[in-house]
Amino acid sequence: MNAAARKLILPGTIATLIVVIVLAAPILPLADVREMDIPNRFAGPSAAHWLGQDEFGRDVLARLIWGGQASLFIAVGSALAAATIGTTLGLLGGYFRGAVELLTVRAAEIILCLPPLLLALLVVTILGAGTWPLILALTILYTPNYARVVYAATQQVRGLDFVTAQRAMGTHPLTILMRTILPNVMPPLLVQMSLIVASAMVIESGLSFLGLGVVPPTPSWGLMIRAARSAMEVSPLLLVWPSLALAGTILTFNLLCDRLQSALDPRSITAGGALWLRRRTRRAAPAPVPATDQPPLLEIKELSVAAQDLELVRRVSLTVRPGETLALVGESGSGKTLTGLAMTGLLPDTLHVTGGSALYTGRGGDRIDLAALDEDAIRRLRGNEISMVFQDAAAALNPVLRIGDQVAEAISAHQTLDGAALQNRVLELLRHVGIPDPERRARANPHELSGGQRQRAMIAVAIANNPRLLIADEPTTALDPTIQAQILQLFAQLKRDTPEMGMIFVTHDLAVVAEIADRVTVMYAGEVIEEGPVAEVFSCPRHPYTAALIASVPEGGAERLVAIPGTVPSPRNMPEGCRFAPRCAFVQATCRENVPPATRPSIDRITRCFRWEEVT
Amino acid sequence: MLRYIALRSFVALFLVWVVVTIVFLLLHLIPGDPAELLLSQGSIAADPQAVAALREKMGLNDPLWQQYLSHMAGVLSGDLGASFRDGAPVIDQIALRLPRTFEVIIGAALIATGLGVPLGTWAAIRADGKADAVISFFASAALSTPVFVVGSVVILIFAQELRWLPAGGFVAFSEDPVEHLKLLLLPAGTVGLNLLAVITRMSRASVLEVLQRDYVRTARAKGLPRGEILRRHVVRNALIPVVTVLGLEMGTLIGGTVLVEFVFNWPGLSGYLVSAVDARDYPEVVGIVMTISILFVFLNLVVDVVNALLDPRISLVTT
Amino acid sequence: MKHDIPTRPLVIAAGLGRNFPARHGLIGRTQDVWAVRDVDLAVARGETVGIVGESGCGKSTLGRMMLGLEKPTTGTVTFDDRDLSALGSAERRGLSRRMQMVFQDPFGSLDPRRSVGAQVADGLKTHAIVPAAEVRAEVARLLEQVGLPASAATRRPHEFSGGQRQRIAVARALSTRPDFIVADEPVSALDVSIQAQVVNLLMDLRRDLDLAMLFISHDLHVVRHLCTRIVVMYLGRIVEEGPATQVFGSPAHPYTRALLAATPSLHPRRADDAGRVLPGELPSPANPPSGCAFRTRCPIASEACAATIPPLNPAGAGWRAACIKSRPGAEATP
Repeated sequence: MNAAARKLILPGTIATLIVVIVLAAPILPLADVREMDIPNRFAGPSAAHWLGQDEFGRDVLARLIWGGQASLFIAVGSALAAATIGTTLGLLGGYFRGAVELLTVRAAEIILCLPPLLLALLVVTILGAGTWPLILALTILYTPNYARVVYAATQQVRGLDFVTAQRAMGTHPLTILMRTILPNVMPPLLVQMSLIVASAMVIESGLSFLGLGVVPPTPSWGLMIRAARSAMEVSPLLLVWPSLALAGTILTFNLLCDRLQSALDPRSITAGGALWLRRRTRRAAPAPVPATDQPPLLEIKELSVAAQDLELVRRVSLTVRPGETLALVGESGSGKTLTGLAMTGLLPDTLHVTGGSALYTGRGGDRIDLAALDEDAIRRLRGNEISMVFQDAAAALNPVLRIGDQVAEAISAHQTLDGAALQNRVLELLRHVGIPDPERRARANPHELSGGQRQRAMIAVAIANNPRLLIADEPTTALDPTIQAQILQLFAQLKRDTPEMGMIFVTHDLAVVAEIADRVTVMYAGEVIEEGPVAEVFSCPRHPYTAALIASVPEGGAERLVAIPGTVPSPRNMPEGCRFAPRCAFVQATCRENVPPATRPSIDRITRCFRWEEVT
Repeated sequence: MLRYIALRSFVALFLVWVVVTIVFLLLHLIPGDPAELLLSQGSIAADPQAVAALREKMGLNDPLWQQYLSHMAGVLSGDLGASFRDGAPVIDQIALRLPRTFEVIIGAALIATGLGVPLGTWAAIRADGKADAVISFFASAALSTPVFVVGSVVILIFAQELRWLPAGGFVAFSEDPVEHLKLLLLPAGTVGLNLLAVITRMSRASVLEVLQRDYVRTARAKGLPRGEILRRHVVRNALIPVVTVLGLEMGTLIGGTVLVEFVFNWPGLSGYLVSAVDARDYPEVVGIVMTISILFVFLNLVVDVVNALLDPRISLVTT
Repeated sequence: MKHDIPTRPLVIAAGLGRNFPARHGLIGRTQDVWAVRDVDLAVARGETVGIVGESGCGKSTLGRMMLGLEKPTTGTVTFDDRDLSALGSAERRGLSRRMQMVFQDPFGSLDPRRSVGAQVADGLKTHAIVPAAEVRAEVARLLEQVGLPASAATRRPHEFSGGQRQRIAVARALSTRPDFIVADEPVSALDVSIQAQVVNLLMDLRRDLDLAMLFISHDLHVVRHLCTRIVVMYLGRIVEEGPATQVFGSPAHPYTRALLAATPSLHPRRADDAGRVLPGELPSPANPPSGCAFRTRCPIASEACAATIPPLNPAGAGWRAACIKSRPGAEATP
């Protein structure tokens, strides 16, 4: 059971308890709710009357429990009735669209234009006060809510491939609705349900409080509060009990709804908020590392990243020299993106660096361990000396800020430029990355640009302060081939223009590596398994995984592709020895038992394989 | 933009007409004769002859469609008709009571946004921490307590026990401004507490969502200071859904403050509606419903326009 | 049972077009947005036709129309001599036994709430492919055919990796014993090593089952490897169509040449770096250029290109290209 499901226990138990007590009212040894005892009116709690007696001397506890029955019956009854009608309307409207949608969902929505109070008032006035008119009024009131929610969910599910697959299969539309769509719209439906039970209780008690709902002498929480108000000066406790019962029950259902939502829709759980926004104790600045003669730009040593006890990146080492482009290549789950984020301190809150160092040589020649810096210290480097380009520019740019402003703030975060100079620098940058008509584009919002231009703007942001190290995380993956070629060309041009800049290019695409990089680091299941100059690695791989990966690319004349059997192991079940062993064609007993060390087949190559000499 | 507003206003007026028509028809379905109700006193039945005469005078003997047409004609010429009960023009009563309802709603909205957005943001940043737990619990509790319960309890505390504020009633601002504001404080605060809970929860959820967005990571990658990221990238984007919710909540409140008005004896529009339905005063009911609907639809329009100003992705311009 | 010369095409699209009119405002004018226009295409048994093109070129819409999942605005789709749009809904559902689809997203194409076996069995039950008693055995056989253990039937989709899910989707498509399969980017969402598994599977099936297949992809390498015939689309129209060896060996249309040149390769040709990158962006389908839609980015465009929409002219045996300047083989890529 996960944390979200565990959190359901408390409100779930209380809700069950309330329902059970209220349902058991007829068999509980309660006093008669109508039996008056005028001499003892307003008597306080006693052994016979635990919560005291009301203005007619009736037992408060008994009235509380029976009143709960009335409230819950009305609330649950109307929520169920509205759910049945609304779900049907929403399903039909959402699946068939067109005229059906107009007749079902849109027709139901007219009700939403009426003031809800008036609607309830009218129904109650037409049919008279009482339990059943209340249920009818609330059902009418809540039907459009369900219709809307189910309609939206149906529309969403309807476009999914597995529904299209059912249509392609020739399944009858009604079967698709019942078998495929209904179960998949259940989560929002359940959430809506508990929300509406709570909301119906509010309205029911309100109407009863006004004297328009449940008719006395039937006990109801709203009525009890109404009566207690006039006796407030004599016995304030009489007001407290029904208020507590009412608010407590509604609170229970609201909590149930909240937690149900996070249990049913795991995406809505956003753990931890934002650690980087909280002021944390400052870390002492790491001791400067003595500079060597020609230090590399970045030297990562044995860097590990973990989520709690789950190690996702293990002892990764890599080196980037000034002017060099290093490709970090691997399949999904290889840890290549995490490695990139770890050295800029941008790891998600749930992950953290558990070991190793990332020695970076700054503009002043000092060597700093990026992994040991606190948020403030690394912030001064980010966007200034070390920049990042992300994969999905549409998501990585703020949708409500103009392109020019987003570039400008990147500059002003690290430099002081006044208005005109800043504006000129922005335009210069936009021109530099090949955005046509930069004066106009600077005033545009991200959604007004094409995908290729957004990625160019993203690159303009990254190079705004002439960084020494540029980390590009799959910057061309989401783009079409001809646009991808344009962006790759832009990166090549940037490299020519700024020969000192080092670049880490994270990608899964071997062909892109061949086009852009000087050196390549191949990652598999969180580890570096091979490293070397691109041309050498591709022509003569020293690790069976790299070899298989290259052979699986459908390029060249092979009649049959080489497929790597099996799948990447999950971080929970990492193989003991070599992590590639279960899928390796050359596996031996030692591979399964021992972790292969990093060995150097030649001066600038690394492989992590016991049998590299035999297999390659 | 102007074209959009004109178009939306046209649709809105159509909706108001639909609503008014439905209400008009429903009212005539209600058992109970306004003339009879007006003439009868307590349990004494009214004189049938007098009732018949009054019905004729009120035009209640005409066919329904004729009553409908003559009433609509009046509405179109800006005349909401005269009240059955006292013969006074309905529009005067609305003009008198609407501002009082507005006072409560706007007071509540000020409390809710002024406190709710910062509280929600704070809770989101500290999500799963102690501050968040406390804020979230109180927001849930405030949301779960019906206004008449809150109202009754605050009267018990502030008026009866502490005797700081009056328990209820109304004094015109022109007569005694201080007393007027003192009387306003509890009803506005009661509605405000509920709205505050809504806004706090909404802000928290919205900020939490925005914090996970890629563009916040981009802002961090730029090396922007924390405050800058929070202000320019997080709160600004998070406010968009909050504004929508605030607008819709205020719209619902225009006709929904009846319980608060009842609890605090505040003579606003909602209480007027209840008594009008009670007396089957058709011109009054139709007039009030129309006012509420127009305001409701108009508020929706304002929300859309404000959203479009906040979020450039929403385009109001029709080409 | 390989058909070298297909006798009669199984699926024929004639003059196929799909318009998604965009409305501006509540009562504003509608504007035509043609996702697909004037497409003629035939697919025969044993043949795999690859459709390539960039996003928005209409390749997915074309695939869905070929299956009858999307109603064409103009033109007809004929399946085994029957016009799909003329069929009643029950008839259409009956015919769908013979045509199936494999989708791109391995996570969206399976219902997360039902077991794998139940989903593979849907088709068997709907069309009564096997007697009810044999459904379980048939599901096991289908799963084994795509390289999964029979025990997979009892598990839910989330227990499988992307590649495995894609095989389940293939098993589901095969359950009705179709003659025609549309595969819409079936390997795009998969990692390279897994991609090869699925490509190999599809090749085996084509060979063993004599399927007619429409393979939609933006990955030219995969298409070249898998397909016998290639259709290149740009902004809703076919710009070139022909045998894979010819179209990719000596493309007749400048767009095909540009697409090939833009595709990164393990063996890059760095020398002609600048020349091979196509300038500009894809025009909007709502507002396509006059005449040849590609002329705005074409390196060899001239004034004549803006005048009329170029027809698909023969460029060789079973090979057509829509370019008034096409000279097959003349400007083949190095």
